[in-house]
Amino acid sequence: MAERKLILEHAHDPAYRTLDGYLAKGGYEALKKALKMERQAIIDEVKTSGLRGRGGAGFPTWIKWNGIPKEKSDKLHYVLCNADEGEPGTFKDKQIMEQTPYLLIEGMTIAGLATQGDRGYIYIRGEFIDAARSLRNAIDQAYAKGYLGKNILGSGRDFDLFIHLGAGSYECGEESALMSSLMGERGMPRLKFPHAPLPTISGLWDSPTLINNVETYACAPFIIKNGGEWYSTLGASTKNSRGTKIFSVSGHVNNPGNFEIEFGTSLKELLEMAGGVKGGKLKACVPGGSSVPIINAEAVDRAIIGYEEMADVKSMVGSGGCMFLNEHTCIVTFIWRTALFYANESCGKCTPCREGTRWMLQILDRIRQGKGQQGDIELLEEVCSQIDGRSFCGLGDAAAWPVQGAIRVFREEFEYFIANGRSIVTSEPSLVMAP
Amino acid sequence: MSLGIYKGIVKPITSGLGITYRRLKHKKVTVSYPEEMREQFPRTRWRHFLTRYESGLERCIGCSLCAGACPARCINVVAAENTDEARYSPGERYAVRYEINMIRCIFCGYCQDACPTGAIVLRKNFELADYHREDFIYTKDRLLEEYPGQSDEPYTSNRKEWAEARADEKRR
Amino acid sequence: MAAATQIETVTITVNDLELTVPKGELIVESVKRLGFEIPIFCYHPRMKPVGMCRMCIVEVGFKQPDGSVRKMPKPQAACTLPASEGMVVYTDTEAVHRDRKGVLEFLLVNHPLDCPICDRGGECPLQNNTLFYGPSTSRYVEIKRHLPKAYPLSKYVTLDLERCIQCGRCVRFTEEISGDSQLAFRFRGANMQPSTFGLMEFESKFSGNVIEICPVGALTSSKYRFRARPWDLQTRPAICTNCSNGCNVWMDYRVDKVVRINGRTNEAINEEWTCDRGKFGHDFYNSPDRLNVPLVRRGTALVETNWSEAYSDCIRAFTSSTNTAGLGGNANSNEDLFAWKKLFNEGFKSNELDYNWTKVAPIADPTHAKPSIASIEDAPSILVFGSSLADELPIVFLRVRKAWFKNGAKVIVAHDQATDADSFAELVLNYQPGTEATLAQALADAKAGKSVEAAAKLTGVPAEKIAAAAAHLTSSTAIITSHELLNRPGAHDALGALKGLGELRNYALNANDQGAAEIGIGTGTKRSAQILADARDGKLDALWLLGVDPFEVCEDHDLVQAALENVAFLVVQAHTKNGAFPYASVVLPMTAPAEADGTYTNADRHIQRFGAVLPAKGEAKPAWKAFSEISLRLKPGRPWFNADEVGRALGAEVAAFANHSFNQLPTEGLPLV
Repeated sequence: MAERKLILEHAHDPAYRTLDGYLAKGGYEALKKALKMERQAIIDEVKTSGLRGRGGAGFPTWIKWNGIPKEKSDKLHYVLCNADEGEPGTFKDKQIMEQTPYLLIEGMTIAGLATQGDRGYIYIRGEFIDAARSLRNAIDQAYAKGYLGKNILGSGRDFDLFIHLGAGSYECGEESALMSSLMGERGMPRLKFPHAPLPTISGLWDSPTLINNVETYACAPFIIKNGGEWYSTLGASTKNSRGTKIFSVSGHVNNPGNFEIEFGTSLKELLEMAGGVKGGKLKACVPGGSSVPIINAEAVDRAIIGYEEMADVKSMVGSGGCMFLNEHTCIVTFIWRTALFYANESCGKCTPCREGTRWMLQILDRIRQGKGQQGDIELLEEVCSQIDGRSFCGLGDAAAWPVQGAIRVFREEFEYFIANGRSIVTSEPSLVMAP
Repeated sequence: MSLGIYKGIVKPITSGLGITYRRLKHKKVTVSYPEEMREQFPRTRWRHFLTRYESGLERCIGCSLCAGACPARCINVVAAENTDEARYSPGERYAVRYEINMIRCIFCGYCQDACPTGAIVLRKNFELADYHREDFIYTKDRLLEEYPGQSDEPYTSNRKEWAEARADEKRR
Repeated sequence: MAAATQIETVTITVNDLELTVPKGELIVESVKRLGFEIPIFCYHPRMKPVGMCRMCIVEVGFKQPDGSVRKMPKPQAACTLPASEGMVVYTDTEAVHRDRKGVLEFLLVNHPLDCPICDRGGECPLQNNTLFYGPSTSRYVEIKRHLPKAYPLSKYVTLDLERCIQCGRCVRFTEEISGDSQLAFRFRGANMQPSTFGLMEFESKFSGNVIEICPVGALTSSKYRFRARPWDLQTRPAICTNCSNGCNVWMDYRVDKVVRINGRTNEAINEEWTCDRGKFGHDFYNSPDRLNVPLVRRGTALVETNWSEAYSDCIRAFTSSTNTAGLGGNANSNEDLFAWKKLFNEGFKSNELDYNWTKVAPIADPTHAKPSIASIEDAPSILVFGSSLADELPIVFLRVRKAWFKNGAKVIVAHDQATDADSFAELVLNYQPGTEATLAQALADAKAGKSVEAAAKLTGVPAEKIAAAAAHLTSSTAIITSHELLNRPGAHDALGALKGLGELRNYALNANDQGAAEIGIGTGTKRSAQILADARDGKLDALWLLGVDPFEVCEDHDLVQAALENVAFLVVQAHTKNGAFPYASVVLPMTAPAEADGTYTNADRHIQRFGAVLPAKGEAKPAWKAFSEISLRLKPGRPWFNADEVGRALGAEVAAFANHSFNQLPTEGLPLV
């Protein structure tokens, strides 16, 4: 299968970043259609489409939309967009925001209509200045032409959209931490109270809150425009994954970049789209951003992209940050670098993540210095199992999975490093390891 | 008569002396205490000492764990804070007062077990008798060894040294 | 009760035992009902749960319709888990124990384990939990996190960052309870540490509480630092006598010296909190200025004497004239005050006793039942009028804040200066000094729908604000004033106007001011200021100062000095040398509050017992005992032998105190009848 471009179809057209160019390519048709639809009808379309969250967890989107109270109380309804794309290896949202900002804006407006949203916030990672500028520009134009603000396109419905730049914390990509940060508090995950997995009743400022990933919102216009039925035909070969997904392919490939593919495409095809492996044979792949377990070349061969299908190779679709590693990569170093990232980014709220990530890093540090001891691998596994599922939010799990996965798949590399005090890979390390 | 004398006096004496004579070749079991002293058993627990580190700093950090462990409640510790100008022990805390009531002490050695730094130790010095009740309250300056390792020196059986040490102690 | 039937309940199963609990109750609380224990660090029943430490994780499942139990894939934190129907909780499975061990191992990897020198050692939740649930050895061979030790956050609180387990209790306390938000977390991940912003001084009126709620020795008391270990201490219940709130505390003493005061739970009074004034204000017990023996003036010098001679001097002076008076003041028990009044009335034939030092006398009828402090919580709106509560009655301030924080009460603050309560007040009426009465009347007028423009101009409070404030006032509004208001001109008019606006609570300032009023001290013809003025003018033959330093309680120092110099005979009965000491003709040493049995009446008329904690210093006697002995010399009879007997005599004479004697009171005290 080749690429199947929906979101990225006009990404390289500079005109698409202006309102006129967007309208010329059929933009805002979905919104116009949605304005004529019942609220529940919009949600039903999303339900039919089988759209699942593109941020990493793959949660069915319509459940979130449907969970917002149908009757409005005196509280405002918020529509949040999680654009704090911090997962190492993922850079799809950046491209969407920079090159197709109107898709996101239109998607959020539709979500606002469906959930009686009063205000939308796009929480953008602090480093994404270009994306923020592009969005700012797009939002200003949309306001000027009546696509946002009071009385959208004369329909009598209002929706305001704001941009908020983060201050540089990976943790703020966790939805409740994002809300804390948005409310001006320390960027730590909040208790979702009353105990519910979603903030649909009580989220931002204790009000009903809808929060989705950039890509998820960007899918919405296509679903409304062409119908959920049509969207669900994309990726129909998979068990339960529908539509297209943008993969950010990086690492040892000849042609890195974002590739939008249908679900059901194999990982090998994705690798071929990216021009194949550079500088040697394929050794391993991290298919969905740094937090998903690593898989080896053999698993890459049989991996089919799909939320359930990836579980067959003991990995995940995640956020789509697909990193291919060639044979000259030292997995221990790779995992050490990942652990360093998570130890740095742990917010410090809960014990397992705060202390566990630091401990893991220290053990890996020691192994890399050639001071590994017998039993270190078992200790690492034990520490991981003490973090996994015990932490407050997903960051702890995300820190434990890559280590667990790497030990499972490349145990002999760890054993070799500990026994010999050096890496099994003798050739020059080809990944640049920033400290 | 003379036979009577012999039978009644000389014979018992000579046979008695015979026992004495036979005993002479046995190893002597008595010691002429206090001029000399018997070797103590290896794990004998008598007098307490507060030991020092090699650097001369006190080991005791005034944590009062010995007092907490003491079944006779005979230890009193008052702690204070070290400063850089007046440093008694490594770390933040030291014992400004350390008292053991030797009349109450049952020499169980729990204080030694409880001590996290090995500061309080029970050694073999068993001559603890004294003339005044007040003298049985061993204060810190009596308990603290003068130089590192003093308490580990074998308890002397030399009468002269003993006497000197005794006099010294009394003077204090 | 009707309310009880309205509670929605659910049935949960804890370790195979069925249990019905209110819906939404946190599992960590529910399991306590069955006596199971869940170890905790960050959870505190009086603060919002956060689920930070993960110590309380339990296995949770749900009963399926077919009767089987479907366990949740991950363990759950019991402190953030509300009970719901069919929930099945396991607190004692192998997996739970393994997880607890894991959390404790994580907590200990960066803990310095300097327990032997830590003030918390021996009463430390981390030690306890590690002992019961933790691993016996550590697998951690790396270098521990090293951070500054013994950093003085304030003059009361020392911070040891190495020991901190980042549970956030202290941070949440300052955010949720005391409201000063002085503490916050800095940095993130393993480097996260609680501190003040920019390492400024930790300025809070309630900073001592964070020492108590810290589950490790990270926040310790600078005053208690290295003073004792828990097993050195003896602990007795006590009452704080620093203000009229009468907080329940534990008094920890070592060899007859008070070393520490901790909060004792009494939901009706102070919950479990203490203010810094009470928690750290125990220095005088060990002061070198304590009075140990009676002194009499011989020539120009005060010489030591025996009680008999001191009594004789007093009797001679006070019986030779009826133009005598007595002034009390700070912290005397009901027994002392009653015996004092009795001695003056019957022995010295005088009733010129006063206990109140405010410019105007409180108008509130002393027997008028005051709504309890705890009931402030239930008030829909609260008006704090002319009182800087956080300074005068800090624990009442916490109640007001709780009413706002927890129950959303609307708080209106009226004061001529900025107060701590402004931070959460719905409305702040910042009036011109001296216009209290005008503002109070304006509030009443606005309530009645009259124009308040004139008053607005006078007080400087905009008319809309007055109207908005008046709109919040209902008959169930708690109106809180304190003795601060009584020092303002027009206080009577203000109180009179406020009385009709809601439930007026005019709280007394000193520990037993309320008790003195109930007993009838201050019913003489002269008030304290008049008595001093008489003394100054040489119109007073003898003055008895009971446990009070007039220089402390009276603002007019010149008047006090002139009065003490000119009074013919001055008895100073006190536990510590005070400002009046140099002028005394006779000095009678008195026990300090913790050194004798006694009962104290607090601001909301709650009477509490305070059993002797420490032995009396030297020859010091409880004041009532001295009065009783003097009475005996005047008129032979049966003296009182203990505080309980005094209390019973008081009960017989003052109806409110009936059945409230020392031995009749329960530990948590009783409201006066």
